[in-house]
Amino acid sequence: MSKFFTRMGDGSAVFLSEAEIRRDLEEGMLDAADRGKIPELTDDEMERLYQIITDPQKTVSIERGNEVVMTFDAGTLKLPVRAGLPVDRMTTVLTHERVLCSDTMEIGNADYSYKQLKNIVHEEAASMEFTQLNCIIPVFYGAMPNLGLYTKPDGPVDNWSELLPMAKIGEARAAQEEAIEMAVKDMVYIASILYEAGADGINFDTVGASGDGDFLATLKAIEILKSKYPDMAIEVGMAGEFVLGMHGQLEYDGTRLAGLYPHEQVKVVEKAGGTIFGAVINTNSSKSLPWNLARAVTFSKACSEASNIPVHVNAGMGVGGIPLTNTSPTDATSRVSKSLIEIGKADGL
Amino acid sequence: MLIIEDAIKEAQEAIVKCDENKAVAIAKQAIDAGLDLVKLLNDGFSAGIRIVGDKFGRGEIFLPELILSAEVMKKVTEILETAIVSDSAKEKKAVILIATVEGDVHDIGKGIVVSLLKTQGFEVVDIGRDVPVDKIIEKAIEVNADIIGTSALLTTTLVEQQKLEEELRARGLRDRFKTIVGGAPCTERWAKKIGADAYGEDASDAVVKCLKLLEK
Repeated sequence: MSKFFTRMGDGSAVFLSEAEIRRDLEEGMLDAADRGKIPELTDDEMERLYQIITDPQKTVSIERGNEVVMTFDAGTLKLPVRAGLPVDRMTTVLTHERVLCSDTMEIGNADYSYKQLKNIVHEEAASMEFTQLNCIIPVFYGAMPNLGLYTKPDGPVDNWSELLPMAKIGEARAAQEEAIEMAVKDMVYIASILYEAGADGINFDTVGASGDGDFLATLKAIEILKSKYPDMAIEVGMAGEFVLGMHGQLEYDGTRLAGLYPHEQVKVVEKAGGTIFGAVINTNSSKSLPWNLARAVTFSKACSEASNIPVHVNAGMGVGGIPLTNTSPTDATSRVSKSLIEIGKADGL
Repeated sequence: MLIIEDAIKEAQEAIVKCDENKAVAIAKQAIDAGLDLVKLLNDGFSAGIRIVGDKFGRGEIFLPELILSAEVMKKVTEILETAIVSDSAKEKKAVILIATVEGDVHDIGKGIVVSLLKTQGFEVVDIGRDVPVDKIIEKAIEVNADIIGTSALLTTTLVEQQKLEEELRARGLRDRFKTIVGGAPCTERWAKKIGADAYGEDASDAVVKCLKLLEK
């Protein structure tokens, strides 16, 4: 029986038979449908996924006319940090514009958290101004809400990661509520200065990494920013496929945030005033690419169908079905990109 | 008259619903009725905790509920263990030393793993974050740990897990401890490559793997 080259979620090569690939596609798709309580993919879509996975070409591409817009998180950290190229941020942005043909780009600091930027925000603003003078594509400014940085020893608030294991639930919740207010203030402060310095948009990246409080702080900051700057483009990229309930009872406009999956997350982001939603679907490193891809596509399709704003699915290291490796293998990345766009209905990546 | 099947079902429900009064009542009734308390603990209350762990992994319940369930579990375990003549349930317990490796200050995931491990009766010694290999080994010896668990969120700090394995081998201590590794960039392949005994994909999986390590 012939076998097809594919990968595991940790990037290792594996050869699977048609039956094994179809089984993994089915199981991955059903896992997403079950967890998210969302519709399953159709038989035609599953067949298409099978064709994409087993395409003999090393890399695949979308059909002409299906091109989508690309946005980036930690944009200016990718070439210098991930790829180890000794280039400054301006060069990174221009390389993306003039060599890689990126549609947009993002400037971010090595201390990629809003709280950490307060001391250097005016230098960041100057960088944004110079970059805008030199490039054509829209340039976002991005960082993470990173609510954990407000806890001891990095911040003034009691550490809920220490309080929770001690069953001090009330104290842990109160600490998170206190941190939310501080984070909102910092995010609005930084985003306002960078927007006024010329940023075409603001990116809130890895939202929810510290749980539902992290997500709520971002939504509140977006509300304020949209009232100050109604035309501001705001991208919200999530940290994981469901919102971790570190608090568990936080709500936004009557919706409990903990446990929301992408098709539900996008609705609250939309309500707060977000203009692009970066859905995240986690890659399971112990499962195959077919399993992870079918799962990611199922979540992506449901999210895109529920949304009234563009959905840019995160497609990178360990998310969106892409294997968890420092440098993503293009055979997998291209298959994931094509599937998310053509079956998962992603508006962008 | 309470029968074991009903007691097991109700014990599971009490844990899943974080219902301390009900859990304590079932435990006391089971003692009075002379039921198999080890079976009740393992198939009822502990199974309930596994359901809670699974629900947590699916985003259906959240950390505070998880902690509350763990507290209920702690209470009924105390009651039942006092009454259990056989020591079989206690034999499953182990000491696990857990740390985030040196150079890495991320501990949200580790905190969740600690909470889940406690729910399963492990004695967890959490020595925090940014912990050098020397200190991990020193502490593991001091608390007589059965398992050493290390977490790393960064690709740059992942190598500390490898360093731990090498250092344990160099000191002739490798067979004294079981090791488990986890964290965002960590994979099964990495665990095998460095010679760790287990890899936890997420918090729930880490607990399952730790329980399996005890069987070895």
